[in-house]
Amino acid sequence: MAKGTTERISTKAKWITGLLIFAGFGLVLVSLIRWQLVRGEEMEARALEQSLQSTTISAMRGTIYDATGTKILAQSASVWTIVLEPNYLNDDDALRRKVAKGLAPILDMDEEEIYEKTGEDSYFSYLKRRVETDVRDAVNEFLTENEIESGVRFLPDYKRYYPYGTVASNVLGFTGSDNQGLDGLELYYESELRGTAGRLVASKNAWGTDMPFEYEQYVGAEDGHSLVLTIDETVQSILEKHLAEGIEKYKVKNGAVAIMMEVDTGAIVGLATKPNYDPNDPYTILDATVLAEIEALPEEERDAATTNAWYKQWRNKAVSDTYYPGSVFKMITGAMGLEEGVVTLDSTYTCTGGFQVEGEPEPLHCWKREGHGLEDFSAGIYNSCNPWMMHLGSLLGVETFCKYRDAFGFTQPTGIDLPGEATNLYHDVETMGATDLAVESFGQNLSITPVQMVTAASAIANGGYLVQPHVVDRILAPDGSILKTTDTAPLRQVISEETSKAITEILRYNAENGTASGGYVAGYRIAGKTGTSEKVAKWNEDRSKPMEYIASYCGFAPADDPKYALLVYFDEPDGSENGGLTGGNAVAGPIFTQIMAETLPYLGVEARYTEEEYEELDTVAPSVTGVPLEDAIAALDEAGLDHSVIGSEAEGVIVSAQIPESGSALPRDGEVVLYTEGYAEDEATTQVPDFSGLDLVNASYLASINGLQISVNGADISSAAVMLQNIKAGETVQVGTVISLTFAENINTETFVPVG
Amino acid sequence: MAERRERTRRDPGRRDTSRRTTARGLSQTPRKARESAVQSREQPVRRRRPVRTKLFSLGQGLDMPLFVFIMVLLAVGLVMLFSASYAYSYYRQGGDSYYYIRRQGMFALAGVAAMLLISTFDYHRFHKLAYPIFVVAVVLLGAVFVFGQLLHVESIAPSEGVATRWLRLGPIQFQPSEAAKFALIVVLAHYISQHVEEMEGFVTGALKPILLVGAVAGLIVLEKHLSGTLIVGLLGVLMLFLGGTRVRHLLVLGIIAGILLLAVLGIRNALSPEEAGEAVETAAGGYQMDRVIGWLHPFDPPEGVDTWQIRQSLYSIGSGGLLGVGLGQSRQKYLWLPEPQNDFIFAIVCEELGLIGALVVIILFSLLIWRGMYISLHAKDKFGTMLGLGITLQVGIQAVLNICVVTNTIPNTGISLPFFSYGGTSLMILLGEMGILLNISRSANVERT
Repeated sequence: MAKGTTERISTKAKWITGLLIFAGFGLVLVSLIRWQLVRGEEMEARALEQSLQSTTISAMRGTIYDATGTKILAQSASVWTIVLEPNYLNDDDALRRKVAKGLAPILDMDEEEIYEKTGEDSYFSYLKRRVETDVRDAVNEFLTENEIESGVRFLPDYKRYYPYGTVASNVLGFTGSDNQGLDGLELYYESELRGTAGRLVASKNAWGTDMPFEYEQYVGAEDGHSLVLTIDETVQSILEKHLAEGIEKYKVKNGAVAIMMEVDTGAIVGLATKPNYDPNDPYTILDATVLAEIEALPEEERDAATTNAWYKQWRNKAVSDTYYPGSVFKMITGAMGLEEGVVTLDSTYTCTGGFQVEGEPEPLHCWKREGHGLEDFSAGIYNSCNPWMMHLGSLLGVETFCKYRDAFGFTQPTGIDLPGEATNLYHDVETMGATDLAVESFGQNLSITPVQMVTAASAIANGGYLVQPHVVDRILAPDGSILKTTDTAPLRQVISEETSKAITEILRYNAENGTASGGYVAGYRIAGKTGTSEKVAKWNEDRSKPMEYIASYCGFAPADDPKYALLVYFDEPDGSENGGLTGGNAVAGPIFTQIMAETLPYLGVEARYTEEEYEELDTVAPSVTGVPLEDAIAALDEAGLDHSVIGSEAEGVIVSAQIPESGSALPRDGEVVLYTEGYAEDEATTQVPDFSGLDLVNASYLASINGLQISVNGADISSAAVMLQNIKAGETVQVGTVISLTFAENINTETFVPVG
Repeated sequence: MAERRERTRRDPGRRDTSRRTTARGLSQTPRKARESAVQSREQPVRRRRPVRTKLFSLGQGLDMPLFVFIMVLLAVGLVMLFSASYAYSYYRQGGDSYYYIRRQGMFALAGVAAMLLISTFDYHRFHKLAYPIFVVAVVLLGAVFVFGQLLHVESIAPSEGVATRWLRLGPIQFQPSEAAKFALIVVLAHYISQHVEEMEGFVTGALKPILLVGAVAGLIVLEKHLSGTLIVGLLGVLMLFLGGTRVRHLLVLGIIAGILLLAVLGIRNALSPEEAGEAVETAAGGYQMDRVIGWLHPFDPPEGVDTWQIRQSLYSIGSGGLLGVGLGQSRQKYLWLPEPQNDFIFAIVCEELGLIGALVVIILFSLLIWRGMYISLHAKDKFGTMLGLGITLQVGIQAVLNICVVTNTIPNTGISLPFFSYGGTSLMILLGEMGILLNISRSANVERT
């Protein structure tokens, strides 16, 4: 019995231990093989994934230069971001207090705020982003003095600067908190500008702090590429200056656009839109009126209103807004007609004040209700005659019209290198009825972007080639070498050289003597067409309000060898506030004139005057200051200028000052006022009167009785009136000062067309 | 062999068992007699004082393989504890990377000293000590239950979630369940050796000893210490099985125990529905279910099931590959694997030493288990056999279960790895038990090296 027991124990014990060792550890072995060998790499990868943290080393964002290649429109500079590691601080209240007290004045932050942050349970908390190096040094000094070794860190970072402030803001866009492009070129060229961030890969423990491993791997950052734009800062500034002037003068409610394009290449030399913003500080609303409106709102509506205002001022109206081109489009319809041969320059049509479209209850009217009478083709365009265009449209037919409309690029986004290009709304070939065709023939009910319009106008100007609009000329590597130059080859030929020349000639006549005389610039052979687009859709929403307009002027110069096209576009000039000015000629024309007059000389377009123009041309005042009075008068006589003297006229008296100053422009038969010793102050100054709305004769008279001189710009026709004056009414100037007046005719060449 | 019989007879405390021991000894005689005789002639000291080993001859009669296995496991365990706890200690003990290894090292030194001392302490004395030790263990377990689950005295019995496993007495903090396992081994070994002939009967052979097991297991259940209950139950049943209890008796009692357990939980539920409901839910129901679900889906657990620990353990094991990342080079111990010095230390062994290192450790445990069993089976009496087997099984079960948990072979449950996991008192108790095993080896009929 006993022996049996012992043997049984022995057997059982061996079985149990055997099971324990072979089955138990056997199972373990299977598991180990599974996890270590079969799925080992996967497990290791997962372990590494959680413990290897890569710190990004920011790449420096590329610079954006203007067309001159020397002016910097956007640039990144090294700054520092200060980060707290609260877990090294949060268990020592005295230390927290000390850090908060010490850093608050350096960082210009609230002491309590810093104190709160030091109490967080984390190893990473932004304290202040993007401080300059001197601030970082001051913080460092504070930490060293107080022997604080951990808890505050510095991360290298970059800050984006836009040295020209608001200039070209809607083209440039801006960057966000991680230096990522959020709008404009910064967004569109994000992949070029951003560069490749470097990485520092290091092991971290589960708390996110460093692990004593030599697993570190450093990959240097590659700086971003730079952009050289086609936009010239000088041109851009001129565009913006005059847009602002126009907005103020014509009480424009919904912003404005001016686009200047090199007609042969599609290079945009200036693209200004209003409202705009300062990309250095994109979240500040610049428009004081809008700001006041937001302030007036109840608290809960302010955020939404602010966001709206942001999007409005960030919006690039030139590519994101669509409008009906209106009469400007007549140059396109005209070109279609000539190109297809359905009309010739000699074709005529009699405008009776309306055009009967089949199926319509009554004729669609011309802007001139009484009708233009018998007009040849050119007159149809320069009179901006709607029936002529409807007639032409019916001659073309739907298919041909649509073919050219596509060819001119009105139905596809242009592919300009800017984000947010709008899509077009139009009747396609299948759905276009006779009425639609008639209305589109004079530019209504066809939604296009301003960029599309100026591109199509360029095709008219350059011999018929549709070009690719673009704002970036070339992309540079960080070392300055050229990586890529934009291809400026035309996309396709839309019309022939002959058609192009013919239309250009008509438009030139139009700008000098036709409905577009508001855009005339002496010596620069402007070809242009006005447009006054009705915002029908808006009006349809609420017909109790008056119709709103978009006043535009699209033209190019010089007509004999077109170089630059310019579209000026004002969205909703307030006729009830500005004296009834809503038409393209009166509103956009004078601004077009001013821009062309200022930019073309800068862009190297040579002025060539006709004899008549030469007569009226301004001359430059010679320097007669500091010489004896007799010599000064002799010099002025020789230059064919009159003179008057204020002060002593004694023999040998020295001229102490002159108005206009040496080098300033004054009319060819103008007068130089010479100031000598002892003139009376009140005698020497005068107030500028308001010239608005006066014709040339009355403006000259008003100037002379105020002791002023005028210089004439724009329309040289008798019915034109003063639209702009370069010195505001009420300002005090010295006697003899030359006031530059811009004339234009106030004609609204649009027809009310209440078609769906 | 003559010497052996003589010694037994002289032992006054074991007179009643001498007959059985003699019988067993006789059965061994044909194989071992000659060698033992040769040895005994060369060692006259042991002939004079055969039972009590002198302190200054600690090594005498010790089973060297067992001793070597113990010391190697302890050494490897300490090295791995140092490595595994290094980072955790640095972060948790205020920059002191040596906190855990220092404490564990001191306990190991004291433990080895205790082990050697105990190895000179005739294990037969545990016959008399069996019940007193058992009573003390039960009282301590009761204290944990009373202070932890009933009175909620955190200073004495701190709670960890739902469970209260620790008892704090002044500066010492330990798990009474560790002591209880030992107490159960001793008391069962004593009981079985006293009732060898009657083990096949139901009352003496099964019911009475199962009540002893049940007392301990029941109290540990009350601590809501499930893994402890599992080990104690398994240990008790295996010892009874080895001791001769009939399997069908064990089965019957097992079913009764199961019903009782449910009844106890039911009563708790009825007494304080809210608390108990939660306890049943968490300790016996949902919580355990979560562990099973987590075991099945370690990487994509359903919402609310936390598998962080086992996931990190598998990452560690996998990172080791065949050869390991090298001693001290674990990344997972940097706070990824929670408390890498405790139950999941084997994962760090796998990571740093690879499959090869893990196998070496497993083989070391296997050798220890084999040697423990071998010595026990060659003990000179049934008490020694049962005591030795109990101790060996305890170590073996814990090692196997722990490694199974760490490798996600079975669902996660809190079992520490003998010789490796951090814990002063449990290491002391373990080394004390090893001392008893060594003491058994001194008198066992084992070929010595």
